[in-house]
Amino acid sequence: MDKLGRILMVEDDPKDVELTLTALEEYNLANEVVVVGDGEEALDYLNCRGAFSARSGDNPAVILLDLKLPKVDGLEVLQEVKADEKFRMIPVVVLTSSREEKDMVASYKLGVNGYVVKPVNFHEFVNAIRELGVFWAIINEPPPGSMKK
Amino acid sequence: MRAMARPDSYSINARSALLRYVFAVASVVIALGPALLLQYFKFREVEFPLFLFAVAFTAWHWGSGPAALAIVLSSACFDYFFTEPLYSLFFTVADLPGILIFVSFAALIVWFSSIRRRVEAQLLHARDQLQLEVAERTQQASLLNLTHDSIFVRDMSDVITYWNRGAQELYGWAPEEAIGKRSHEFLRTIFPAPIENIGEQLLLAGRWEGELKHTRADGTQVVVASRWSLRRGERGQPSAIMETNNNITERKRREDEIRGLNQELASRSTELEAKNKELEAFAYSISHDLRAPLRHMSGYAELLQKKASAVLDAKSQRYMLMIQESAKRMGDLIDDLLAFSRIGRTETQKSLVNLEQLVREAIGEVRLETEGRNIVWNIGRLPNFYGDRSMLRLVFVNLLSNAVKFTRLRPQAEIEIGSDDAKENEIVVFVRDNGVGFDMKYVNKLFGVFQRLHPSQTFEGTGIGLATVQRIVQRHGGKVWAEGLVDRGATFYISAPNHISAPKP
Repeated sequence: MDKLGRILMVEDDPKDVELTLTALEEYNLANEVVVVGDGEEALDYLNCRGAFSARSGDNPAVILLDLKLPKVDGLEVLQEVKADEKFRMIPVVVLTSSREEKDMVASYKLGVNGYVVKPVNFHEFVNAIRELGVFWAIINEPPPGSMKK
Repeated sequence: MRAMARPDSYSINARSALLRYVFAVASVVIALGPALLLQYFKFREVEFPLFLFAVAFTAWHWGSGPAALAIVLSSACFDYFFTEPLYSLFFTVADLPGILIFVSFAALIVWFSSIRRRVEAQLLHARDQLQLEVAERTQQASLLNLTHDSIFVRDMSDVITYWNRGAQELYGWAPEEAIGKRSHEFLRTIFPAPIENIGEQLLLAGRWEGELKHTRADGTQVVVASRWSLRRGERGQPSAIMETNNNITERKRREDEIRGLNQELASRSTELEAKNKELEAFAYSISHDLRAPLRHMSGYAELLQKKASAVLDAKSQRYMLMIQESAKRMGDLIDDLLAFSRIGRTETQKSLVNLEQLVREAIGEVRLETEGRNIVWNIGRLPNFYGDRSMLRLVFVNLLSNAVKFTRLRPQAEIEIGSDDAKENEIVVFVRDNGVGFDMKYVNKLFGVFQRLHPSQTFEGTGIGLATVQRIVQRHGGKVWAEGLVDRGATFYISAPNHISAPKP
């Protein structure tokens, strides 16, 4: 898997994190997933500041973003990412429980690259995560400057 | 001269003038008779007053011209009959003083009487004018009585001088009770602005309009729309104010009522809006927060099953399956409920919809459920309908999915979609199947949320489909109903007003 891109996962629910990582593991996609618990951390990671000041400055190949987050919520993160010249090319996929049209419209208006509603059924959930992981971490050619393993 | 004041006697003017002179002659002749008679009986010196009387009478009644004639005639008669030489018009110097005195007296009488006549004529003229004016005023006043407006006139010191019938009807005071009273005290007027300001405006513009409150004879208060007009005298000085009032108490009451209702409506709307917001937040939280634990239950149950499948017996395996199935079912219920609540919350976006095309799309959408089934679709001619396309699509998906579901036990399912001839600007569309039908006894339960007429093991579903259909149709101003027989199929109808001719954006 020399073409596997790094995934930045922004998710505050540890159970969701565990289930998602489990799903990714099943397809050997989990080895380059960075998990952060809120929007502020996500922005810190991208900007290499705070807890992430020591990391190398490459961008992740894709951001999996939950919408309902503590401190800085998903839509705000999305807005900042898409407004920043350094990050606007990073593909962002919203991965949320919300099926509300309002959220969907707001996300697309901010320039999201994908919007996935987490299925309740675990099978479907695993399938969705796998397809997401495979597509964004393997099939999709990330923009220049992204971290490649 | 009196005769001359009457326009219809101009034609007989000449005749009457002649007549007056004839009367003058007659007066002298009538005076001459008694004078001669008295002379015969030796009464002397009576002719002088008698002739004077004749002249005075003539002057009094027929004017100075005939009177002059009477003087001349009287003098001649005096000379002829009563002075020496008798029966001759010749007169001596001795007669002269008598004649002169007579003529002077007579002339004086004529002069006085002509003055009297002139004064009389002036008086009569003034009286006629006055009568005309009175008649005119009376007519005007009675005209003012015809109007339903209440009108009264007051002088500059606010004393009422005129009070029409409308005012009597409105305030309950008769004119004789009102006239002479000070209007503001009498009616206990409540002004919308200081009276000084109103007066100023009235003097400036000559008029004023506004709303006043007055108190009637029975003590009740009336609101009037009041119009004041200033009347000015000959030299431009303000002389009177005419006040015209219309009773608008009832109108004001209604206005107040409407204002109150509007306020209530506004506050209710705000309340409703707040409730809606609350509901939206609630739905959002269901959507987001209730689904997460379900996903976790389902996820961990599956992980557990995978990990422990080797050690679990068949019964435990089934328990694990049940947990997952229940989680899935609850997820479906939440999704359906959310979809249902969303219909009530989102605005309809109307456009002209080709229902035939929409039905074909809906059939395509239920294709998964029709796999391996023998279904005959009969699609009749369907009208175009002005409505929200995505909502209407949901209506047909639900109805067709129902039809497909409840014909499952038939070797050949027949599903018909058609339209009934309806009134103008209304559509009636039906979906008919030959499925298991239902008992009409329960028809009212069909469209309720979570209402089911069949056990979920036989026919799966959350029981929200028909409630969704009903809500969408209602949002289009229409209604739904159903007909069915147990084991003989069911027909679902929707009717709705159709405004194709005048679509609004």
